Amino acid sequence: MFRKTVLFTAIALAAAGFGTAQAQSSRDYISIVGSSTVYPFATVVAEQFGKGSAFKTPKIESTGSGGGFKLFCAGVGVQHPDITNASRAIKASEIDTCKANGVAEIVEVKIGYDGIVLANSRKAKPMTISRKDIFLALAKQVPDPKGGEQVVANPYRTWQDVNAALPAVKIEVLGPPPTSGTRDAFLELAMEDGAKHFPWIKKMEKEDAKQFKSIAHTIREDGAFIEAGENDNLIVQKLEANVNAFGIFGFSFLDQNSDKIQGSLVDGIEPTFEAIAKGSYPLSRPLFFYVKKAHADVIPGIKQYLNEFTSEKAWGGDGYLAEKGMIPMPDAERKQYRAAATALKAMAAK
Amino acid sequence: MSDPRSSQDQSNRPRTIDLVNAGLARRYRAERRFRLYGLSAISASLLVLALLLGSIVASGYSAFQQTFIRLDIVLDADQLRTNNLRQANYQGLVKQSLSTLFPAAVGRSEKRELYALVSSGAGFQIRDLVFASPELIGKSVPVWVPADDDVDMLVKGHLKVDEKAESHRLTTAQLGWIEQLRDQGRLSKQFNSAFFTNGDSREPETAGIRGAFTGSLFTVVVTLLLSFPVGVAAAVYLEEFAPRNRWTDLIEVNINNLAAVPSIVYGLLGLAVFLNFFGLPRSAPLVGGLVLALMTLPTLIIAGRAALQSVPPSIREAALGVGASKMQTVLHHVLPLALPGILTGAIIGMARALGESAPLLMIGMVAFIVDVPGGFNDPATVLPVQIYLWADSPERAFVERTSAAILVLLAFLIMMNGAAVLLRKKFERRW
Amino acid sequence: MISTLSFVHSGAVKRGLQASGAIPSRFTVGDAAVQPTVGEPFSDQARMSCRQVNVYYGAKQSIIDVSLDIGRNEVVAMIGPSGCGKSTFIRCLNRMNDTIPGCRVDGTITLDGVDIYGKEIDVVPLRAQVGMVFQKPNPFPKSIYQNVAYGPKIHGLAQSRAELDEIVETSLRRAGLWDEVKDRLDQPGTSLSGGQQQRLCIARTIAVSPEVILMDEPCSALDPIATSVIEDLIGELKSQYSIAIVTHSMQQAARVSQRTAYLHLGKLLEVGQTERIFTRPRHPLTEAYITGRFG
Ligand SMILES: Nc1ncnc2c1ncn2[C@@H]1O[C@H](COP(=O)(O)OP(=O)(O)O)[C@@H](O)[C@H]1O
Ligand SMILES: [Mg+2]
Repeated sequence: MFRKTVLFTAIALAAAGFGTAQAQSSRDYISIVGSSTVYPFATVVAEQFGKGSAFKTPKIESTGSGGGFKLFCAGVGVQHPDITNASRAIKASEIDTCKANGVAEIVEVKIGYDGIVLANSRKAKPMTISRKDIFLALAKQVPDPKGGEQVVANPYRTWQDVNAALPAVKIEVLGPPPTSGTRDAFLELAMEDGAKHFPWIKKMEKEDAKQFKSIAHTIREDGAFIEAGENDNLIVQKLEANVNAFGIFGFSFLDQNSDKIQGSLVDGIEPTFEAIAKGSYPLSRPLFFYVKKAHADVIPGIKQYLNEFTSEKAWGGDGYLAEKGMIPMPDAERKQYRAAATALKAMAAK
Repeated sequence: MSDPRSSQDQSNRPRTIDLVNAGLARRYRAERRFRLYGLSAISASLLVLALLLGSIVASGYSAFQQTFIRLDIVLDADQLRTNNLRQANYQGLVKQSLSTLFPAAVGRSEKRELYALVSSGAGFQIRDLVFASPELIGKSVPVWVPADDDVDMLVKGHLKVDEKAESHRLTTAQLGWIEQLRDQGRLSKQFNSAFFTNGDSREPETAGIRGAFTGSLFTVVVTLLLSFPVGVAAAVYLEEFAPRNRWTDLIEVNINNLAAVPSIVYGLLGLAVFLNFFGLPRSAPLVGGLVLALMTLPTLIIAGRAALQSVPPSIREAALGVGASKMQTVLHHVLPLALPGILTGAIIGMARALGESAPLLMIGMVAFIVDVPGGFNDPATVLPVQIYLWADSPERAFVERTSAAILVLLAFLIMMNGAAVLLRKKFERRW
Repeated sequence: MISTLSFVHSGAVKRGLQASGAIPSRFTVGDAAVQPTVGEPFSDQARMSCRQVNVYYGAKQSIIDVSLDIGRNEVVAMIGPSGCGKSTFIRCLNRMNDTIPGCRVDGTITLDGVDIYGKEIDVVPLRAQVGMVFQKPNPFPKSIYQNVAYGPKIHGLAQSRAELDEIVETSLRRAGLWDEVKDRLDQPGTSLSGGQQQRLCIARTIAVSPEVILMDEPCSALDPIATSVIEDLIGELKSQYSIAIVTHSMQQAARVSQRTAYLHLGKLLEVGQTERIFTRPRHPLTEAYITGRFG
């Protein structure tokens, strides 16, 4: 029994080792990493592509935008991913890392938009709120209500304290943790913009960027904002249970749970598919993916995958991605990016 | 006859039996209290367990059924011959049959709403049907295709319907069609076999656990093949052969420490060693198995040593006494007697490995993988990761599938732990 | 006789005595405790001879300067109060103490003139020559047949299955167990009664044809009937083997042994013909023990 086990192990290890050597010399599926926001969309395309073609279904890891670029830029070769998804544009520093590791040519494909919503239970009234109100309600430090150009610890307890037009309900917001891309986008799109409504803070952005960030990008920690973890489904469930609470998450979760929750109007605009597509809803961000050009001829299916992703049936106005909650780009932009993607046009240096 | 003084002493001193009787009630009370504490502790934990299981079963059992729609698909010979058979527009055939069923839907958006009733995976099902029996081409065949997840949720009562149409995911028109389909007997809930035979999918109605299950199997096989022999060898050496000195003490402390190290640390180790240094492929069950083997090794060694320790020394003496060498003593007598205990430890270790997801995050096994892995190097994910991924998906129908996957995982863990108990019962020896 | 044993007077004795504490004063007669072994510890037909054996468990000394012979075809009984070192001593004879960490043996012990603690000595063949039966019956949790066949198998004593069968049968016969188990050789040894188990252990020991058999209180866990069966068995085995038996029962020592050795706090106080020891003990502590004044 004992001897047999030892023998089996030896054989298994030898076999595994042999297999490894083979797997390392080639890869017959596309390897994709990156943003968790793009993940639900990229996976749909990957599945349609895999089932509808003779190629294998691409493998997609949800690593976050930053984590995706790190893996993507680590080098050229089968052990490195071919494509990375991102909920923001690639940074100059990341392009440099890529270059340093031999990833010279990168094809940038913008795929659409994602909206960030502030939502509450359908059992409560919908709220109309401005970005300035969001900033005042959620920042750790806010301009002194008594006036003057200094900040004080956030004194507001209820929404009404922030703005007399808002309900007299305790501020209670469930949101994503700092590791999440949604949180980054929320800070940038809602909080920063809200902070800039105060001219002296806006001036600070140029003069003392650090100070500006610490005001505009720091969320209060006194219990009014509750970090609810990466799982947006959980936030939806909690909103159902607590009619006074609001939650921050991606539009697709609102879209999928519209029988239970409703989005707040931000600056007078309701977070609808059309409003985000038109660009009138303020809290929306573009989504991208980046392709390693050097892999396009080595890994089977990359070109066909790009073709699938940029086809009208996928990312078009009536495409299956829209069904999943992704907001499509205007026709002209789609045309432009499809052309760049199918021609594998590498992006110009930034 | 006896000393009068001592007899007086005796009469003054209360008799032992009286003292015992006096304290008896209090002793029994204390005993009853103690039993009550134990009982309430057990019932509390049972209650929590029942709540947990109850909520999982309650939210998960419905995933074992799926709503299907019967459509009369016309396998139009012309349409199928135009392209090569693989690339043909099978979803188009599904849409056609829906259109013939509800000719009133003509507008562009109306048609879109109509087509959304049926799973986007239905086309693949028709394709497989055509490939399996090409003689059907040109005929009209009734096929039960899976309904879209929103329809499924509605039929199962998970979707709230109120007057305000835009407040839920189905429009009034769609609700009407569903009503008609139901009246025509074209709508029925059937066993969700896709859940067990498919890999992952972004469409809840076609998503299954087979891919993750196979991945788990491959991973655990690697883990077992590696950690069992190494663990047993280490335990035997440490327990039976190694001298007791500072070095072995140090090793023991380290092993006990490693058993308590958070599992994510092993993931980081795997990333640094197996992926970055040895260049093994990402997302492979081989690497997952290696990482989990490292993770379970300390537990296995500790369990193995405990099992070896529990073998009575008289057995060792008996073997040594007839002139068996140290190794013969261990291999012929001690190890077979310790084996049930070692196996129990191994199975519990494997069960832990089976339920682990954190270390696999680091080595890329937390990924969307549709194809069922066919080997140790194919990209794969495992059951707990599948659960995690589904729990994070926006579609409502994944909620019940998440619970169903948890049920499958739990069933497996129960089977493994049951096997551990059986093994122990079967091989248990009394001496 | 005493003068020939003068070498027993050594520093070690005194050190050991101090270490082990005083003997209860009412049993101390003069300087009896430090006197050398009384009686006849040596034999002209010695199979095993022990000279100045000292055993330490770590810093603690449990056997002090013991010298004793075990002769051909004789049964030597070791008696003495519990904890006096009987087991420790007997376990020196097949180097069973090697397995106890921290246990150290010095002095010389020879088997047929060969020092068993010598550098070139391998314990495996030694234990095949000096078999041991333990206090608690400890059959392997295997079949009766496997229990007896195990020793011959690992030592390669049988060339064929038939030969092995024969060894098993003769060993079981010699142990007086054959008739009771011949129909159920494949049943586990642990299913036998206590007395049968101990006889199985004896059969297992004699199956490897040792020169010497050591028995450490073999009957202490058995009822009187099983005990007398084993005692008869020992009487028969004596014709072929040298036997050292530890017992806490003086009647048993008297019944089975030719010579008796009295150990006291690690020291061998008196050795002699069994009959003489029990009728005319010379050492006052021996007398105190056998008359039941302590033990
Ligand atoms: N493994 C051991 N470690 C330490 N001391 C021991 C060990 N075995 C026996 N001793 C000590 O050695 C002395 C003799 O023990 P033992 O030989 O078992 O006595 P006996 O068999 O005569 O009852 C006792 O004092 C006992 O405590
Ligand atoms: Mg003893």
